[in-house]
Amino acid sequence: MDLSYKVKDSYAEISAAGRLNMVSAPKLREMVADIVASGSSRIVINLEETAFMDSSGLGALIGCLKAARQAGGDLRIAAVQPQVQMVLGLTSMDKVLTSYPSAAEAFGDD
Amino acid sequence: MTDILARRTLRQAALPEAIEAVHTELDELWDDASFVPDMDRMTFATAVIEAASNVVQHAVPESTKPVELGVDISVTSIRLEARVSAFDAACPDPIDTDAAMPDGEAESGRGLALIRALVTTVTFKRQDGTNTWILSKSPLHD
Repeated sequence: MDLSYKVKDSYAEISAAGRLNMVSAPKLREMVADIVASGSSRIVINLEETAFMDSSGLGALIGCLKAARQAGGDLRIAAVQPQVQMVLGLTSMDKVLTSYPSAAEAFGDD
Repeated sequence: MTDILARRTLRQAALPEAIEAVHTELDELWDDASFVPDMDRMTFATAVIEAASNVVQHAVPESTKPVELGVDISVTSIRLEARVSAFDAACPDPIDTDAAMPDGEAESGRGLALIRALVTTVTFKRQDGTNTWILSKSPLHD
């Protein structure tokens, strides 16, 4: 999985391309920890190019959500693809992780 | 007996890299079994990766020999089956196959519940120092 991020005006956007599984999940956790430590706690993870996620990847998203909220911010996900949506739905985590059509819309309301 | 139309097998050290190899085998399998509907591919592949990840993360060696991950996937016209094995592994603790999906902010513990939600049957077998999870999905969607 290729992970990268850019800090925008009011939030940081992480792009995650590839498979979010037990191999890449720790790298995502590290990246979010670094971003939060650098002072950005409003984070959107752009999943447009995430073709696959397993329960390890889901666990990382939940951990990252907690890290962002503990720092007073929030973590949102955007451009969710069918397999990821399926995993979110079957685990009822679609009610916990707020999903937006695009990264730009994720923090567009506040 | 229904003919096997496509099959892939893999056996290698139970390390994280093995998971990428399982993904590759699954992608190649669908090339040989193009009749399998997209929804079945997606659900079955997710279950297989969950089971293989479980071996890599949790299997404990039975002796000094390291654990190996084995994956044997077969496709018939009506059924997908995967045998996901931990070779040279200790017998796992009793598994609560009816474990409910954890809720809220739990960061782990969803793997088995997710597998059960994705496939038709999940069975476990231990024989000769090998733990095998057999996942099946049938019938296939139209």
